[in-house]
Amino acid sequence: MTPALEFRGVTKRFPGVLANDAIDMTVRAGEIHAVVGENGAGKTTLMSILFGLFPADAGHILVDGEPARFTSALDAIRAGLGMVHQAFRLFPTLTVADNVVFREEPTRSGLVDRSESIRQVRDVANRYGLAVEPTEVVENLPVGVLQRVEILKALYRDAQILILDEPTAVLTPQERDKLFEVIRLLRDSGRTILFITHKLGEVMALSDRVTVLRDGRSVAHLVTADTSPEEIARHMTGRDVDLDRRAPQHSPGQAVLAVSDLSATGEHGRPAVHKASLEVRSGEIVGIAGVAGNGQSELIEVIAGLRTPNSGSVHLNGVDITHAEVSARRSAGMAYVPEDRHGVGTSHRASVWANLLMSHQRGRMFQRRGWFNLRAVRNHARSLVSAYDIRSGPIGSPVSTLSGGNLQKVVVAREMSHGAPLLIAEQPTRGLDIAAIEFIHSRLIRFRDEGGAVLMVSAELSEILALSTRILVMFEGRIVVELDPAEATEAGVGLYMTGAHLEHPDG
Amino acid sequence: MADTQPIQRPGVGARIETVLSHPVLFSLVFAFVLGWVIVYLTGNDPGFAYREMYDGAITGSGLRNTLGRAIPIIGMALAVSVAFRAGVINLGGEGQMVMGGLAGSLVAIYTPGPGEIVIPLAMIAGGLTGAMWAMLPAFGQTRLRLPILITSLLLNYVARAVTGYLVRFHFLDDSVTLTSTHQVPETARMPRLPLFGGVSLSLVLVILAVVVAWVVYRRTVPGYETQMAGFNGRFARYGGIQVERQTVGVMVVAGAIGGVIGTHMIIGDAYRFIDGELVVSGLAWTGLLVALLAANHPPMILVAGLLFSGLQIGGLAMQRNADVSWRLAQVLQALVIVAVASRLAFDLFRRRRRSPASSELESAAVGEV
Repeated sequence: MTPALEFRGVTKRFPGVLANDAIDMTVRAGEIHAVVGENGAGKTTLMSILFGLFPADAGHILVDGEPARFTSALDAIRAGLGMVHQAFRLFPTLTVADNVVFREEPTRSGLVDRSESIRQVRDVANRYGLAVEPTEVVENLPVGVLQRVEILKALYRDAQILILDEPTAVLTPQERDKLFEVIRLLRDSGRTILFITHKLGEVMALSDRVTVLRDGRSVAHLVTADTSPEEIARHMTGRDVDLDRRAPQHSPGQAVLAVSDLSATGEHGRPAVHKASLEVRSGEIVGIAGVAGNGQSELIEVIAGLRTPNSGSVHLNGVDITHAEVSARRSAGMAYVPEDRHGVGTSHRASVWANLLMSHQRGRMFQRRGWFNLRAVRNHARSLVSAYDIRSGPIGSPVSTLSGGNLQKVVVAREMSHGAPLLIAEQPTRGLDIAAIEFIHSRLIRFRDEGGAVLMVSAELSEILALSTRILVMFEGRIVVELDPAEATEAGVGLYMTGAHLEHPDG
Repeated sequence: MADTQPIQRPGVGARIETVLSHPVLFSLVFAFVLGWVIVYLTGNDPGFAYREMYDGAITGSGLRNTLGRAIPIIGMALAVSVAFRAGVINLGGEGQMVMGGLAGSLVAIYTPGPGEIVIPLAMIAGGLTGAMWAMLPAFGQTRLRLPILITSLLLNYVARAVTGYLVRFHFLDDSVTLTSTHQVPETARMPRLPLFGGVSLSLVLVILAVVVAWVVYRRTVPGYETQMAGFNGRFARYGGIQVERQTVGVMVVAGAIGGVIGTHMIIGDAYRFIDGELVVSGLAWTGLLVALLAANHPPMILVAGLLFSGLQIGGLAMQRNADVSWRLAQVLQALVIVAVASRLAFDLFRRRRRSPASSELESAAVGEV
């Protein structure tokens, strides 16, 4: 049988980087094929070549046995390929149907036929069990549904080969399971699925075969049924990795952060946090789980001083900081790794040292009467770069040249290097590869062991379960339950995350 | 595109390419080449016109005039850049200059005493008035959420009207047909240096101001904090920088510079405040262009300010001697700016297409689907 997709010796060189080095990969028709690799392993480059965003320097790609040389994404779509991006590409103010048919609108006498497009979209959705209402406006939909819209876009264009790029990053366990069902259904209907991920659990649960990329090369072609997560991880990293580590627990000490009855509104005056109370003691990691958009971000922003609360109070080491300036909070002992490391945690135009200096620029170590001791600033930056193994150019180069993992290390290094007793870590490892995740987890644990208090928000349940001393779950602005990670399971936490505990079976 | 090795092209070609890859140099070359074509198309001799422009800008009294015109251009560019660099879009330089200029000249005209006292007093009065005028839009933004971009611009018209009223009804010199104040007495005029045929002492002050800005930007906490706020306001807030307070601060500094420059324009150049004169000259806007061209970089502001001043002075000479309208000089200024802007856009485009060395850029590239 002709493979649906075949890469033969695909090579791509960028200035200074060999992004793809003679990659071979065969995707059989009608299979779910996982492509795994750490960030920078070449997954994205390979997909970009497949989609005609730039040509390969060498090698070629066969689609259904025919050599394919796409010069744009439109060529690829015409050839039956469909891509579901990690970040959704939808018009928020348009309906699902409008988004799906965009540029392929059914027309009647030259005009867009709205009712026909709704009918067709509903038709496709029903055929593949994608629960989406075509007339809904996209901005009102939760992320899990948005992803189905993205899949619908590909299916509407009759994509035979569907490429899903890190599709579970934003989903709850329940949404993820639903997605997996859809993917299996699509495979059973004869479509080919290329599933890009770095989560080994998903590879094992879903895929038929696996291709592992490392440093731009295809290092392993495995049959999922005959392999193990450990073997895949070894291929991905080139060494043995301890996958299932639960942090040993210590007895926590004094309360460092105390939040009581905090309420706040979010964007557009929407109520976001409702009477949230929590406490973080020294020597513990409190993990907040929840589906994105249930008030976690707003809660953290209030604690960090970036959002004004409506009522309630925040105390740090016994000091009331409810209405304090950010700088006062920081000098009272708060460090903060924000969720949005590009937009909030760093300035991409600023240099590595300038990013590492932020929030400490008035520290006595670095300045006197407003004049910098530039040598101290640079030495401090250099010591952080080496202590946290930040792979960057010279410290004067802008951080825009850093990879995601190294950028996060800049943030973590800066926030952990000044002995603040409280660390707020918001999505500390989102989008990072295994090595960077391991590194940041070990730093969090070390920080805890040295008596630090950590408040962590994560969409990654495995992370919450692995690191937390206590787990709090947020749903619709409330902290609905506190769980002991020793007894909690992903599914159990997931039920609270979706508010399922509130539904009473009746009738 | 099939080459896998980076292409090395040594020699003259490569060197020219390096020069042209610098956005500012590229845009200058681009503007002058296009200007050449335009002069040619108007039926004139471009070589002759450019030579006249060049000679007119740097020979004889031309050099003094170029340096003299450079004072307000560089000063206003510095005022703009102080704010722009901190992410504050202050378009009110003109109003700040006009208000400060009137206040400064009134002090110079009506305060008796020796120049050593009156001149600094006038400068201080001009600076304070400019600063206070700039505080209006600053507080409008921090207290009332009115964007400085809009209020500072609109306040220029208010400033023009207020000064026009004051000159016309309170400080008018009846002995001349101009709508103007009395002359600044000889003793209260900015001294001239025995250099370049008598250039104003203000040139030294403005160069000093640029140097101070350069040092502050590079070596001090406020320099760092303003730069960080300009790069990414959310990052600055997150790091504890009080962006609102800082906005007021940079507006005060920008307004003060504008006011001092306005004062210089009267006590060091025109010697009387003529209604509308500072506006018609368009100096504040030329300064804005210079700040953009120099990307707020102080030494580059000096260079670009001298260049634009030379273009203007040389343009007048060109009109006199080559019969090519001095407007061509303005066209050249505009072309330089357009070229800088398009060159930056082109650069951005190329970077997106060709070098996704980091994974972020890779996903940005994929994002173009």
